Amino acid sequence: MGNSTSPPTPKQIFTDLSVELTGFDRAELAGTGMIDTYYDTLLRMIGEREAGQLLRYASDALTADQQTKNGAALKRDVIDSPRFGPVVVSLIKLWYLGHWYPLSGAYRDLHGATADDVEHVISSQGYREGLVWVAAGAHPMGGKPPGHGSWAEPPSLLTP
Amino acid sequence: MSNPASPDYDLVIVGGGISGAVVAKTVIEQAARKKKFPRILILEAGRATALSADKYDTYVEAYHEALAKVPNSPYHASSSAPQPDVLDIRKLKDTEGKPKISDQGYFVQKGPMPFGSDYARSLGGTTLHWLGTTLRMLPNDFRMSSNYGRGVDWPIDYDTLKPYYERAEWDIIGVAGDVEHQYYPIDGLDQYFRSSDPKKTRDGKYIFPMEEIPSSYLDQYMAKYADDMTITLPCMDPGEPDHEFAIRISNTPVARNSTPTTTDYRIVGAAGNADRGQRCEGNSSCIPICPVQAKYNALKTLYELIVKYPYELKENEKPGTRARVAVQSQSVAMEVMHAKGAETERAKVTGLRYKRYYDDGTGPTEHTVTARTYVLAANAIENATLLLASGNAANSSDQVGRNLMDHPLLLTWGLLPENVGAFRGPGSTSGIPTFRDGTFRDQHTAFRVEIGNWGWNFPENAPYVTVLDLVGGGNDGKAQLYGKALRKRLGEILPRQFRIAWELEQDPEARNRVTVDDHYKDALGKHRPVIEYDLSDYVKASLPWAAEASRQLFARLGMTEKRRRPHYETGDYTYYTPDDAAAVTYQGTTYWVRGAGHVVGTHRMGDDPKTSVVDSHQRSHDLPNLFIAGCGSMPTLGTSNPTLTMTALALRTGDEIAEELSK
Ligand SMILES: Cc1cc2nc3c(=O)[nH]c(=O)nc-3n(C[C@H](O)[C@H](O)[C@H](O)COP(=O)(O)OP(=O)(O)OC[C@H]3O[C@@H](n4cnc5c(N)ncnc54)[C@H](O)[C@@H]3O)c2cc1C
Ligand code: SF4
Repeated sequence: MGNSTSPPTPKQIFTDLSVELTGFDRAELAGTGMIDTYYDTLLRMIGEREAGQLLRYASDALTADQQTKNGAALKRDVIDSPRFGPVVVSLIKLWYLGHWYPLSGAYRDLHGATADDVEHVISSQGYREGLVWVAAGAHPMGGKPPGHGSWAEPPSLLTP
Repeated sequence: MSNPASPDYDLVIVGGGISGAVVAKTVIEQAARKKKFPRILILEAGRATALSADKYDTYVEAYHEALAKVPNSPYHASSSAPQPDVLDIRKLKDTEGKPKISDQGYFVQKGPMPFGSDYARSLGGTTLHWLGTTLRMLPNDFRMSSNYGRGVDWPIDYDTLKPYYERAEWDIIGVAGDVEHQYYPIDGLDQYFRSSDPKKTRDGKYIFPMEEIPSSYLDQYMAKYADDMTITLPCMDPGEPDHEFAIRISNTPVARNSTPTTTDYRIVGAAGNADRGQRCEGNSSCIPICPVQAKYNALKTLYELIVKYPYELKENEKPGTRARVAVQSQSVAMEVMHAKGAETERAKVTGLRYKRYYDDGTGPTEHTVTARTYVLAANAIENATLLLASGNAANSSDQVGRNLMDHPLLLTWGLLPENVGAFRGPGSTSGIPTFRDGTFRDQHTAFRVEIGNWGWNFPENAPYVTVLDLVGGGNDGKAQLYGKALRKRLGEILPRQFRIAWELEQDPEARNRVTVDDHYKDALGKHRPVIEYDLSDYVKASLPWAAEASRQLFARLGMTEKRRRPHYETGDYTYYTPDDAAAVTYQGTTYWVRGAGHVVGTHRMGDDPKTSVVDSHQRSHDLPNLFIAGCGSMPTLGTSNPTLTMTALALRTGDEIAEELSK
């Protein structure tokens, strides 16, 4: 989160929220090079106003959770919220797979949808940086090859 | 049309895949020994695919960005040269269970079962997206009728093909493997691999040009738990003893670069960039694209030809002093023109009609080309379609288009008790060869067992589906799992995913066929393949066998409990429901049977012109200046993936054509 003197920027809140949603720390997320892209994706998919609301609620929840350390506020106000829940589901999938999965019909009935909200792969880089491969102790199929014969070695996982 | 006395080329080849490339290369090299230098044209229907590293990278990117990562996803086809796609496979029954034709893709599928395989129509052909498994056929595979009363015998035997296998492994594909780790169910494995060439022999044993690709950690795990177990399968005849199969995990020979076994061998890297692809580095995307071309593809052979034997002569070069090859892409062969023979003279091909398309808004143009000799190498289904659309050319036997075969795949999958490091390495590094031959073949088809390294990628589209299962969303729109818990759970599940492909041998049946129908044509006006396809009872009888073998193997590996997604615990996740397009019901049980991409049959070889289309050199019985090359010539297909055998046949055909052109 931002320091005490200046309030965090929306992108910083987005990053902090992404850390909580994915289980990957800031350095790992920054290492993917995808933070800016995914922040823009969020704005495009639900519109700037709604994204602003999501980040405001998220910021408050994250601040509250700093005291309790149990993530209860985030769960209550964002994850389980009918308004923001479906959006964070798509965000988690985005980070893990580099793939935008559209918002549900139920969500759209209440909030409408943008023209961009269709299933698509964000970019070649987004695909390669999908967090799922790291979580699996592997590498993206067709990218970041681990080297000749590496597959014969015992697997290892970077545990969170 | 040109003057037949001076044809435009010595040789015209239809199709720039491995088959066409190998014939061209062989003809050039063999003819050169007699100081003859043919002029060759290769007509390719698709676009010229990448021949430089940076262009190739754009195909890798197209794959990364594809929504559905299927074999053809990096290679976009034009409507002028459309190609089949596994995404077009539909159920061939309507809601009331009545038969239905499916024609939304390139194939027109008449059923009763959809043909489940595809191929690529781009320069380089289907080797652009093949897996690269290169097993030889077993001696008994060539004598199915004599030995087991099934299918037909080949006009040649294993020993005739053996030197060509060696050439295919060394001179064309570049195979990595170790004969010490091949455990086939045959007598005299030593003799099977023995070479008369001392350069290809070490300690009296045959060596492949490159060392084996290391077996995956999963293979080693399998070997630890399952090597030396016995699988028992019931005999069909009541009262007869069961069949017993000793399990031994066997490293698979493959078309992937590793370390040379001799100082002489030169590794072939990527087309247009020899420094790339010197060794398989584990990109784990052999299907649909190897980012570095460590895996063989036909572009490598074509590139060599274009560079060494360009069609254009240099300033001081005289015609007739070296071979010349022209590759012409976006050129679709439409008709094999042929003259019926008079009594004294045999029938022959008089020219090839083809259309060029431009993709720039201009209409296609039509052309005719003539040659001394013609080769069709457009793959089994396209070769047959082309002949049938050419007034039934080369079809006095009525076998053109018939006997279409594939290796029907029964997939089984489960979650192992331990992390075995799935999603690493090439698609498969090992198999279990024990079911490839035996006395049981009179009643059950043989099968090969391919151990997959990519978790549930093939049967379930993992890891995508695994993430979606765990994150949830759906109706209530709430994430079920997120943050560290999600990351941890994925780490617990994905590396334990395990799957096997049981690749059944299909027998040749006249009713499984490709035909043409004037109602079904593509944008250029070329006939689309119309396919009728089914499995014989002989093949179906192996489904319960393979399923039972899977149960015994899974039990040995600790996966006994039947389980279903989206819950993930150790167990057997195999399930088949009747609603899938691949569903096959046999004796009251439903299975899903997928295609293996092994498109075989349609112009079978044989000695008798009444029952076969080509002779053992792949020469048309009817039209002697026409060769029909490829997997289509194989009368039966055994349990090995067919391309190595097809390459051996193409070498033999190349020798024959060179001999003839040198006269
Ligand atoms: C997913 C998949 C995995 C596979 N894995 C393996 C494996 O592990 N091992 C193995 O042995 N085999 C494998 N195969 C099969 C293997 O790829 C084929 O057997 C092999 O590539 C066929 O070579 P070909 O030259 O005969 O035909 P193709 O490679 O299909 O080439 C034919 C060429 O002809 C061109 N053409 C078609 N029609 C015309 C026309 N009318 N005019 C001009 N040109 C035309 C096409 O565009 C193409 O370039 C696999 C196949 C698939 C689909
Ligand atoms: S594992 Fe990777 S480098 Fe090796 S052949 Fe497959 S795609 Fe190419």
